[in-house]
Amino acid sequence: MSITWFVVLSAVLFAIGLFGVMTRRSPLVILLCLELMLNAGNLALIAFARGHGNADGQVFALIVMVVAACEVVVGLGLIVAMYRRRMPIDADAASELRG
Amino acid sequence: MKAPTIDYLAFAPILATLGGSLLVIAFALARASFVQRVVLPGLALVSIAVAAAFAVITWETGDQTTIIEGALAVDALALGFSLLVYAAGIGAIALSLRSEIARDAGRGEYYALLLASITGMTILVAAENLVTLFVGFELLSIPLYVMCAAAVRDERSLESGLKYLIVGSVGSATLLYGLAMIYGATGSTDFAGISAAIGTGVDATDPLLLSGIALAITGLAFKASVAPFHQWTPDVYEGAPTPVTAFMAVATKIAAFGVILRLFDDALLSTQLQWGPALAALCWVTIIVGNVGAIGQSSLKRMLAWSGVAQAGYLLAGIVVGTRLGAEAVFFYLAVYLLMNIAAFAVVIARERVSEHGDGLRSLERLGEASPWLAWPMTIAMLGLAGFPLTAGFFGKFQLINATVSGSYESLAIAIVIGSMISLAYYLRVIAVMWMSPREIEIPAAPGRASRKVRPAEGWSPEAGAAAQPEVTAVAVLCAVLVLAIGIFPDPLFDVARDVGSSLAGFL
Repeated sequence: MSITWFVVLSAVLFAIGLFGVMTRRSPLVILLCLELMLNAGNLALIAFARGHGNADGQVFALIVMVVAACEVVVGLGLIVAMYRRRMPIDADAASELRG
Repeated sequence: MKAPTIDYLAFAPILATLGGSLLVIAFALARASFVQRVVLPGLALVSIAVAAAFAVITWETGDQTTIIEGALAVDALALGFSLLVYAAGIGAIALSLRSEIARDAGRGEYYALLLASITGMTILVAAENLVTLFVGFELLSIPLYVMCAAAVRDERSLESGLKYLIVGSVGSATLLYGLAMIYGATGSTDFAGISAAIGTGVDATDPLLLSGIALAITGLAFKASVAPFHQWTPDVYEGAPTPVTAFMAVATKIAAFGVILRLFDDALLSTQLQWGPALAALCWVTIIVGNVGAIGQSSLKRMLAWSGVAQAGYLLAGIVVGTRLGAEAVFFYLAVYLLMNIAAFAVVIARERVSEHGDGLRSLERLGEASPWLAWPMTIAMLGLAGFPLTAGFFGKFQLINATVSGSYESLAIAIVIGSMISLAYYLRVIAVMWMSPREIEIPAAPGRASRKVRPAEGWSPEAGAAAQPEVTAVAVLCAVLVLAIGIFPDPLFDVARDVGSSLAGFL
């Protein structure tokens, strides 16, 4: 089986994640979609590592998992801080700052 | 299996800020006021100073010293950009000393996060490998997300932190996917290996490679606030505490352009014909969007954010050409951009602490009379950002235009000139507000009384005196003096820029 299918799957996951980030309103779901994007990257890395027959991509994927966990922790922390301040947990309502 | 050799002397600058960050957080356990107010910022400053000293000691022209085999290497490029980041860090600490946010967020955590972010930036510019690049990129970003939200009692600060986190993470994920595709195309995560693979087995027009490059530049463009990936910039800059904004505006840009320079002018230089035109288009868009967006902003922080977008466009022009002259111009311009922006933000901080208008443009009204020690640095910073002769900004723009013309991208030189012309509209407005506001204030009409104009009472806003916040004034004046000094004697900085440019081996 060619690695192409794995790469295609990862591209689809990445696109779904990006679509979710842009259309969803709840920051929690946005964080989930960000995870999806990062894990799409991981899948691509592992597929390519398999294709090239070296382990560089797998090591990269392991490190990305750690980094992604850090990012989510900070994101959840911010959401909890906002919740405690009774701020609306809704990306559309968070509009004190206007572009 | 052999463990990689580590060169600890070359590693010392990175270890100094990393160790400093851990020490600060350990010392923060002591609740004594003296420790909190003096020791913590002092420790942070000392660790940055030690790192800078090591960077100067190990400064060598041309040669690349491997720190950790296949992961990190320092050369004049990494050290030069690290020194700029250290300067931004020292400026940010000085500006945070009297600020409420460091107290609100916990001083230990605040300074430790700042040092961690600085460490990430220095790792990023020293990266020799896609993995190290990504780790450095995240180590830079994650502390900044928290620092943006550091003013926990201010809803705008929390909101800007969350916005920055979401947009920044989209950028990181895009960058990661791009790096994965570059790895997929070349089979190597080493910059040297990538560059070698493109020369031999992989065609420079390989679609997988080019998609990877496109995604990677998108991810980095988010961080460097290059249009059209800049929408977060004004919001986050406005909402974040001003000292954090000052740090973010300069240091992130320095690190992002450092790594763009390394990735594009070193690892991917042989594909310059493919990515050059795409980056040139981004450069045009960024210059126009940034300059037009800055016009009509009434908040100084938003204005500086848009101006930062425009400046990112100018800097991108130096990358597009893919020549040594371009790399030198980018370094030179980043150095003067650092000075001009820190000076401007220092004045904004000094004013927003005392003025009822916060960071609004009106907070600067009649500053020229009230406190010339703040008004002159702001004036010099604005003239420098606009590129007036006798300021360092002039030589910065001159170098960039010189690089674009000799790299046969004349159209970008035109973009820079047009952008500078538009930019006068908002830079000169700041100067006009400071020096030329009417001395009378208008008292609005009330029932039975027409509106009239009166002179404000003398001794207006006594706290505005520069003496009340000596460290902020000192930072502003020092940066402004340096902007003028470099504007008159640019040679020393030219020499440093030449060293930095010489470390990119791919150029002829």
